[in-house]
Parts: sequence; C-alpha cells; structure tokens
Amino acid sequence: MSKLEPKSTNVAPQTDKVAGPWYEAWRSFKKSKIAVVGAGIVLFFIIVALIGPWIAPQGINDQVLANRLLKPSREFWLGTDDFGRDILSRIIHGARISLWVGFFSVIGSVVVGSILGIVAGYYGKWIDTIISRVFDIMLAFPSILLAIAVVSVLGPSLQNALIAIAIINVPNFGRLIRSKVLSIKEEEYITSAKAIGMQDIRILFSHILPNSMAPVIVQGTLAIATAIIEAAALGFLGLGAEAPLPEWGKMLADARVNFINAPWTMIFPGLAIMLTVLGFNLMGDGLRDALDPRMKS
Amino acid sequence: MNKKKLWSLALLLMLVLSTILAACSSDSSDGGKGEDKGGDSAEPKILVFGRGGDSVSLDPARATDGESFKVTQNVFETLLNFGDKDTTINEGLATKWEPSEDGLTYTFTLREGVKFHDGTDFNAEAVVKNFERWANGTEDQFPYYASMFGGFKGDEGHVIDSVTADGDYTVVFKLKRPQSPFLKNIAMSPFAIASPTAFEKFGDKFGDNPVGTGPFTFVEWKKNDSITIDKNADYWDKELPKLDKVIFRAIPDNSARLNALSTNEIDLADGINPSDTKTVTDNAKLQLFERPSMNVGYLGLTNTRPPFDNVKVRQAVNHAIDKQAIIDAFFNGGAEIAKNPMPSSISGYNDDIAGYDFNPEKAKALLKEAGFEDGFEMELWAMPVPRPYMPDGTKVAEVIQKNLADIGIKAKIVSYEWATYLEKTKNGEADAFMLGWTGDNGDADNFLYTLLDKDNIGSNNYSFYSNDKVHDILIAAQSEVDEDKRNELYAQAQEIIFEDAPWVPLAHSTPLLAGNADLVNFTPHPTGSDRLNEVDFK
Repeated sequence: MSKLEPKSTNVAPQTDKVAGPWYEAWRSFKKSKIAVVGAGIVLFFIIVALIGPWIAPQGINDQVLANRLLKPSREFWLGTDDFGRDILSRIIHGARISLWVGFFSVIGSVVVGSILGIVAGYYGKWIDTIISRVFDIMLAFPSILLAIAVVSVLGPSLQNALIAIAIINVPNFGRLIRSKVLSIKEEEYITSAKAIGMQDIRILFSHILPNSMAPVIVQGTLAIATAIIEAAALGFLGLGAEAPLPEWGKMLADARVNFINAPWTMIFPGLAIMLTVLGFNLMGDGLRDALDPRMKS
Repeated sequence: MNKKKLWSLALLLMLVLSTILAACSSDSSDGGKGEDKGGDSAEPKILVFGRGGDSVSLDPARATDGESFKVTQNVFETLLNFGDKDTTINEGLATKWEPSEDGLTYTFTLREGVKFHDGTDFNAEAVVKNFERWANGTEDQFPYYASMFGGFKGDEGHVIDSVTADGDYTVVFKLKRPQSPFLKNIAMSPFAIASPTAFEKFGDKFGDNPVGTGPFTFVEWKKNDSITIDKNADYWDKELPKLDKVIFRAIPDNSARLNALSTNEIDLADGINPSDTKTVTDNAKLQLFERPSMNVGYLGLTNTRPPFDNVKVRQAVNHAIDKQAIIDAFFNGGAEIAKNPMPSSISGYNDDIAGYDFNPEKAKALLKEAGFEDGFEMELWAMPVPRPYMPDGTKVAEVIQKNLADIGIKAKIVSYEWATYLEKTKNGEADAFMLGWTGDNGDADNFLYTLLDKDNIGSNNYSFYSNDKVHDILIAAQSEVDEDKRNELYAQAQEIIFEDAPWVPLAHSTPLLAGNADLVNFTPHPTGSDRLNEVDFK
C-alpha cells in the first residue's frame, strides 16, 4: 500500500507537465508563419480527400474519347487527359489515394518501427545487435529500390505499394526510437520506476514510449511527404495503383506521351504532388521547431 | 576562413564545369556524325538506325523476332527477294526459278560470281548445305523452318523431300506435296543463305559471328546497345551499297528515340508514336515514313479458359469494344478497323464479312444468353512495350477495360515484362490478352494457319483456338495451287473464324518511321525488315 502512495503523487505532476509542453509547442508552432501555411495546405488536401467524391464534377473513369486532350476551359477547369477524362476530377479523387497511402504507410512503419526500436533500445545486448543490423542492411539499399523489390515480390497493386513503403520506412523510425530509448532509460524516473518494481511492459509503454514520441511526430509528418512521393514514384513505374485509379504518379506516367502537345495533363498532377509534399514538409519543419526543447529561446 | 571557403567553392565549380564539359564533348563527337555525311565522297556515310529493341540472334535461321531480321536482312541474302514495297517474288541470289507442272519440283538457277564475306564461294553446294543444316535441326534450333515447311527430315508433315545440286549453279527442290506459298517462304528472311564454312566453324556461336553474302558485313555487336555493320566492298553489285556503315541502336522508349532523332544522334527512327506525327511533319529537318500495313493487332480470348470457352461470351466481348474510338484516339486515325484476322491487302481477304459492330446492348444480351447476366471478373493482359501493330498497349487496354465495365465485366489490367508476357500467354495463363502479328511473307497462310490453326497451339496460336473444320480448310489451301480456289478456301475459313470469334481483331495499323530530311531511297518494307543497300544521303 505504501508503494502506491509515492506513485500516485508521481503521476499527478507528470500529467501537468505533459499538458504544459504540448500547449507551449502549439504556441510556438502558431508563431511560425511558414508552418501554419504548411498546415493549411495539408488541411486543404485532407478536406478535399474527405469530401472529394461529392465535389468532383466527374467520376474517375468517365471516358469520352471525343473529348480527349482538351485544353483547360470553363467546362474542364484543368483540361482533359487522353481518355477524355476531366483532370480536375481525377486529381480530387487522387488526393484520397495519395493521402491514404501516405498516412497509413507511415502509421504502419511507426508501429512496427516503435516496437522494434523500443525492444532494441531497452533490452540491448544480442536483441539490439540483431535488430540494429537488420536496420543497417535495410538502410544500405536505396529506399526506392527496396520498395520496387518488395512490390515485385508481392505483385503490383496500390495495397502492396503501401506495404512496401511502410516496410522501407521501418528502420528510420526504429533507429530514431532506439536512440531515444537509450537516453531515456538512463533517466532517474525510469530508475525509480524500476526500483519500485514496475513491470518492463509498463515502463516501456507508459513512460518510455510517451516520452520518445515528439521526434516521431516530427519524423512522421516529414515521412508522409516522402511516402507520397514514393507512392507516386511506384505509380509512375507502373508498380502502384492500377488503372483506372487516378493515382497522381500514374497520371504523370500516362501523360508522358503527350507532354509536348498537352502539357496540362502532366503539370496539374505534378503540381498536386508538389503542393501536398511541400505542405507536409513545411508543417513537419514547424513541428520540429515547436517540439524540440533545444530550439526554445 | 572566408577566403578558404571561396577557394573550395571555386574548386567545386571547376569540378562541376569540367564534368559538364566532358559530357558535352562526348555528345558532340556522337552528334558530329551528322555533319560527316556531306556531299564529299571521301567522308564515310554512316547511317544510325534507332529502334525499339536489340536483336536476339544474328543467325537468321534461329531468330523469330523482327529486330533480328532487321539486321540479318542486310548481312545475308535469300534465294528470292520480296519487292521493294510488297511481297511479290523477285530475283535474289537466284536469277531464275521454275516450278514443274505438278508443283512438286522447283529448279533455281543461281547468280554467279558471288562470294560470302569470308571468301567462300556461293554455289549450289552451299545452298544444299544450308537446307541440310535446317532439315536436320530441331524445333528449338530452327523454329521458323519447322512452321513454314511442316517440320524436319523424317517428320510426316515435312514438305521438302530433297534439295540437290545439279552442277555448280543449279539447285533442284523436290517436294512431297505441293505447297502454294513455297516461293514466298523461300524469300523470307529466316531462309537466308549463310556461309557453310562459317556455320560449320562456329556451330552454336554462329549467331554472334554471322557470315553471309549481303551488302554489309558484320563488325561488332554490343549487346542491348548497338550492332555495327560495314560496307561489303566485294558485293556482287558494284553500285551497292551506297552507305559505308550502318549502326543499329536500341532505344526502347519511343519518345526518347524521336528525341535522339531530332538532336541528330540517330538518322532513322523506327516506331514513332502516332501522336508525334505532327511533331515530325512540322520539323523541316525530318521526314515521315509510313510502313505499308501488313499486320493485325488483336485482343486474344483464351478459348480454353472459362468463361471464354463459351462462344456467346466471346461474341459479346466483340460487340462491346469500340474499335473506331480506339483507332481515333491511340492510332491517330492511322489504322484500319480489323474484322478479320488478316489485313485487307493480302489476297484471300473476305470483305463480305460484316464484322462485329460496337453494340453494348447486344453484348449484354449475349452475356445474358450465356448465363452471365451480372458479368464476371477477369484479367486483361496488356503488352508492356510499344509494338508496330499496337503503339500503346496499356492505354488501349484502359479503353477496353472501360468498354467491358459498361457491359458488366470487371477487368483487371495486368502486365509483365515482354519475354515473360509472351511465355505466359503461350502457356494459356491469360484470360484475355493483347497481341498482334506482322506478316512475314504476305500470304494468307502466314496469318490464318500460323495464328489460328490447332497445329500451332503452343507456338503462335496464343488463343488456343481449335476447330477441325478450319484446320482441314487451311491444310487444303496450303496444297491448292490454283489461286482462285485457294482464295475461296481462305474466305470460308474466315467465315467460320468470324462465327467462332476466338479474338477481337482490333486494328491494322500503319507503323510510322521518321528520318533525317537528307536521307534518300529508304523504302520501309511491309514485313518490317528493310533492305538498306540503296539508302543514301543527299
């Protein structure tokens, strides 16, 4: 019983502390104009992705071959592609695909990477050696090459592209968490938790994990940007989304043949990729400044 | 500190600059060839021919792909030649040829004073040795020989009974049964006469060391990059060839190849995207060539795989596809709608066949009759590379996918690397697949028998179509010497094939090439293998 006493007093101030830094981070994030612009872009694309099917003027595969390669006009705001499909509609529908792949592949790599990273960092010894060497091996490959290899094994489809992107990002998160865990586990509050006989699982998930999340959030935001590019690259190579899905990278690839006589088929999907990626990068940079204690004045 | 930084920056800049300069200099030495070609006869005339892929073998008897024949056609010669723009029979290494009354004996008189590149004399004995080499081979070694002459020595279907030399310059062929396309077969690139000394010496390596009698001699083959052939100074026609050197370069991407042409890196580009026609015609430095159409692009329906084993389903798919829209959009209008498995330029074409019109309602009705009212799911295979008969397979597949969706069939587009694609379709692993065929000799037999006879399941009959009645007609047509009766037989075969609908014939395209404006005397041949001996620069 007496054991519970110090613990509860230990927890109460901690929750206070947690609320504090988050609020402070939000305040410093707001101060950075560029970060807010980034967040705005991201928010815009998220809204587009959510309500896309209701606002798009056309479906994803409404082919009217008589209307092929029309210039942007009042009827087709961003022109039509070589199947006579409205490019604006396809980009709107494509937002859902790109963001979906971006979010879920990163969530996948964060979950797997965190578990492996925590285990490696906390237990050390041979487990650490094995996990770290596997990470090293994976990082030795150029990431897109590894993704291509994974997709070739699984077979080309959007879902497999997502899995491939998740896999190639695992070592990045794994290493990040491992290094964070290595420093946190030497902290006094962990030593005291151990001293009062707390179980490993509980130490890991209620103390170490929450305290190593800040860099993961930053890295995660930036990783979504990379994941979107990687998904587009796989789509461009014909290893991602299948026809007729309007994946942005695939739209770019399809436009290649016509880029001289119908540049709008290439420019607008390219712009969509660029803007989303830019948004996530700006937001990620802002988050890093906000969450990194060293950056505080 | 600042100064140091400046210095390192300068050094970096120099490094970058020198790299760029180095890259440029190699470029300009490549591109500089363009200027070498001027009127001065002392300058060597070099033609760089850009094409979609590398050759497979330079032994014409072993090759089956068009890219191999493009080269061997200029290193080797056949006993008979096709016309410049068609598949009429003209003299080649043989100057005279006489069939007997019964069509069982052919006597060829050979050209005198011809030598192979290695100095061996070309004579009747050399021709006999070549035919013996093929007749004693296997399907693996000489696939074309087997499919054109019904097998090998000892096989029941083997058409050639004997090939004998009668003196130095006369060769006599004796056949077991009359074969009406015999002379056309003899003129096909695979049956070019090779130096017996060389193929005995090199054996299996002959494909890397080709020796023929042609206007050009083989110099070098950098795999997947380029093949170089030089002027044959001892060519029997002293006027030819006009060029000093030809380099065949493999540039897989159609747009990249056109780009290489406009930057003068190459002088002639095969496989121009129909959508780039205007780019070529608008450029005064370039000219456009049209290859006479002798091909068919089709959607094969594997007849042994359900639900395509049901003729109603096959007919439904035929009615579902909007061929005209496909041709307008992806062939730039430069193709003819296909209703038969062979192009209309070939004699025996049955123009009375109506063809399946684009009619989704009728297609739905047929599906309902077949018991697929709610449609079904299938894989639609699309070729990964542009082909002369299908400039952009994956995009056409997307239109077909939409057409099928409109009648309730859900198709998933699948693609493999080209060699794997062919292998897997040959094994019947596809539900429906896009493929095509460019004729080799301009005979109806080369389309109908080769592509749709049950004898060729496992080789070129990818759709596994088997109909005994069609088989009997096609075999009868092979032995029929009378041209009118033969055409009648082919017309009948096309009617049955139309009813059975083993494919959806899509288009007969006109393949496009582009070349430098100062290129003269280049005439693209319908078979896809061009003789370059007359080609010259202004």
